[in-house]
Amino acid sequence: MADRKAPSSAYGAGPAGDTDFRKTWNRDEYAAKAAAREAKVKEEGKARYEAKLAGKKYIPRAATPPDAKETQSRAERLNVSANVGKTMLVPAGAGIGKRGRGAGFYCPDCDLTFKDNLQFVDHLNSRQHLANTGQSGEVRKATLEDVRERLAWLKRKREEEKKDEVIDLKTRLETRQQQDEREREERRRKRRERRRKTKDGMGIKEEDQYEGNGIIC
Amino acid sequence: MSGHKADAKALLDDRGYSGPLIRGENPANLIEKPLQDRITETYYWKEQCFALNEASLCDRAVDMNFIGGTYGQQKASPFLCLVFKLLQLQPEREIVLYYLHNEEGFKYLTALAAFYIRLTFEPVEIYKALEPLLSDYRKLRRRRNDGFMITHMDQFIDDLLTKDRMCGTTLWKLPKRQLLEDLELLDERVSPLADEIEAIDNENDDAREGDESREGSDYERRNGANGRSRSRSRSSEGR
Repeated sequence: MADRKAPSSAYGAGPAGDTDFRKTWNRDEYAAKAAAREAKVKEEGKARYEAKLAGKKYIPRAATPPDAKETQSRAERLNVSANVGKTMLVPAGAGIGKRGRGAGFYCPDCDLTFKDNLQFVDHLNSRQHLANTGQSGEVRKATLEDVRERLAWLKRKREEEKKDEVIDLKTRLETRQQQDEREREERRRKRRERRRKTKDGMGIKEEDQYEGNGIIC
Repeated sequence: MSGHKADAKALLDDRGYSGPLIRGENPANLIEKPLQDRITETYYWKEQCFALNEASLCDRAVDMNFIGGTYGQQKASPFLCLVFKLLQLQPEREIVLYYLHNEEGFKYLTALAAFYIRLTFEPVEIYKALEPLLSDYRKLRRRRNDGFMITHMDQFIDDLLTKDRMCGTTLWKLPKRQLLEDLELLDERVSPLADEIEAIDNENDDAREGDESREGSDYERRNGANGRSRSRSRSSEGR
């Protein structure tokens, strides 16, 4: 139906005025949509056929999103001992399965909990996790120039680290003492500040401060 | 530009592997199959070797502080993990040679590249690339089942060129240097110790001259001395 005239009255009294409330359809848009769907189905059918000819199983797969980042290597080691010594409240039934937050290594992106670090790292390397964090699972290929720069940077880094290294025992003890003194001074300052904040100037009792006395985190 | 895969799933697929081949084979098979499994189940491989490329691999190689095969309960060393990663990445030739001769002086990176070269390059290229390192005397820590021991770069390279088992895996059979020399693919190697060995041989000859004075023995002796010096040059240098 190509004519797009305004609907006429059922009694032949010219264009109807009381049917304006009806939804009007944008036919071109829907025609384009149908064509796209048809093309997609045809393409999938072709892929299916080709896979069959090659003797493989066709597995439909979502396209990689265009804004997916390249996967990068870990910049630091996984901190698996971050939660050691901490007490956690876990919901009832958290011990069953991996779903949701429970006791163990928790992945906030996938909402899963793992019982040991090997399972956890396996999960972090899995397709599921990469997809959930918007990574493509592909790593950029480095050129010789990249390698050269990287090694030069590593060399500089190592030299800077070495600069602080003192072999003399006396100087080491001295620097250590200075460091301790600085830390103690900092603690004293904090205590004084806290005391000033409370009304009576007595400060807060220390035992309320330390971690793990209640349920934290 | 196509990138690398972050994991080694494609490499470990022994039926559907479709990547670059080395001597007509999947590069993963240059490491023995049981050792492959040991490598891929280590925590180091899963945590530190995931999503490395040629540049970030340097970070790990620089942090390495020993070479070796397996230790403890047959646990694969980081050295082997990185070798396996290199087999997956298949870096370009120039990059591997840059690793080998890195001017920053990272010796474990050099050792890593040497092992990779021994596994993947062609025989003539292996000799050409590795023999200059026979005069590199830097110390290396080697981890064995019963603890650490000190070895040197030249010894490590010599082992790579002459032994058939290293670091818990069997190396593919490298043709002997003598054979390649006979085929005129390689020039004869001049040992840096050649002068000294000649001097020692001459002394021996002088001492022997008094005992035997047969005709024609001179030629024999010279040939014999040559043969001896060639066979001895590498081993004496290797220690």
